[in-house]
Amino acid sequence: ALLPYVPRVPPASLPGKLTATTFTLERPRGIFARLANASDTVWLVVALANASDSFRNPPSRDAVPPYEQLPTAHAYMTLESAVAAYACSAPSPAILRVGGDTACGAQGDRDPCNGPLPSPGPYRVKFLVMGCHGPKAETKWSDPILLRRAGSPSTIDPRPGRRGSDTVVMAALLASLGAALVVAAIGTMGAQAWGSLCCRDSGSGAFPRSSYRTHHIPPALPPGCRCSPPGLGCFVPQPPAPCPAK
Amino acid sequence: MAKSDDGIRILQGLLVFGNVVIGMCGIALTAECIFFVSDPHGLYPLLEATENDDIYAAAWIGIFVGFALFALSILGIIGVIKSNRTLLLVYIILMLITYAFEMASCITAATHRDFLTPNLFLKQMLERYQNSETENNNDNLMAERVMETWNKLMLQNQCCGVQGPSDWQEYTSAFRSTHSDADFPWPRNCCVLDARGSPVNLDGCKLGVQGYYNSNGCYDAISGPMNTYAWGVAWFGFAILCWTFCVLLGTMFYWSRIEY
Repeated sequence: ALLPYVPRVPPASLPGKLTATTFTLERPRGIFARLANASDTVWLVVALANASDSFRNPPSRDAVPPYEQLPTAHAYMTLESAVAAYACSAPSPAILRVGGDTACGAQGDRDPCNGPLPSPGPYRVKFLVMGCHGPKAETKWSDPILLRRAGSPSTIDPRPGRRGSDTVVMAALLASLGAALVVAAIGTMGAQAWGSLCCRDSGSGAFPRSSYRTHHIPPALPPGCRCSPPGLGCFVPQPPAPCPAK
Repeated sequence: MAKSDDGIRILQGLLVFGNVVIGMCGIALTAECIFFVSDPHGLYPLLEATENDDIYAAAWIGIFVGFALFALSILGIIGVIKSNRTLLLVYIILMLITYAFEMASCITAATHRDFLTPNLFLKQMLERYQNSETENNNDNLMAERVMETWNKLMLQNQCCGVQGPSDWQEYTSAFRSTHSDADFPWPRNCCVLDARGSPVNLDGCKLGVQGYYNSNGCYDAISGPMNTYAWGVAWFGFAILCWTFCVLLGTMFYWSRIEY
């Protein structure tokens, strides 16, 4: 008998519902009750999408294709469970995980194995009810389920997209401040050196170091140098006296 | 005469005040950079593995620059009060050298902050993270430290991957080569763990059911402190340099006015 149910991946957003080797299905509840009796078992048929049309239901439990035959038969059956596990009020979890058992699949193991899927697929699944005398009912095939394919980390480009504008502003400001300081320093010392070379006798300083501390007499005016640029060497308010004759 | 005396006095007062501020800021810069270098969040192994740890180099320079600023500010105060040409010349030259170093530190910190993109950490995590239970003895020290850092990050911040657990699904990784995808869609530390360190609900974690796994990415937990470090060094240093610029200009002007 063909049940109208279509197996599907749960629509909830679970990041682990499709991985590279596993996928999950919603557990159908209550759809097998009227067709199956308590001794029947429900199997999940997993087939490669292009082999699902050519899959024939096995006539008995011994002919069930196991997990190990997936590479050759392009299909296998797994998740053998009692019909009661799919009843409406069953306490079992609402999700079936296909491929979650990594401990099975050993050679000679006859139990149905729910091993990880070896390729990304796509796969199609259907549920099959097997009785003592063979298959009794089945659901429709699901839509093709494609597993994840992981990329290589060498494709990740770690370089930043754009230089932040803060950095550019800061670098520009600092560079200009630094350059201004260096220019000012060179200018000051250069002017001092030029002034002292030009007017070696009289010195170009403006105020004596500590004379304004010790007495009220205004400091002796340094004679204004002809050579020094105006305003730099002569700091006093009175007009400078002319250079003494050398 | 009184006017020029007053002017000189005011200039002296301003320069002393400026140097006091420089000294205090130098101490603050040293303290801040020592705090950053001590790595309270334990993120240095990640940067070291990406070969992008110049932010720490900038912080190290900041420690010494801060101390130099403090020492030079004392020299400057003495030089200004005594109006000693030699002292002030030494002060100006050493300050210019310190200025250059601090400029380098600020620009380095700001520039290298831009390199710390999510993709950088994602690539490093995928290539170096492996579960420590199956680690072989040939792993070098750096990979071990990267792993410990990631484990600690994921545990303390309840996060997984760089942008989320799907990082482990979208890319192959060193972890994937030793742990099967069916058993470990993502590392165990991405699961919500109980007090003994085992997952509360392993199947729920593998599926990605809310409440049994950490759905956030760890990038915020990494970039938050890194931003603080980088901007702390860069912008505070920038502020100090702007102030120092003014003080140095004033000092040069004062120096040019002192008689021999």
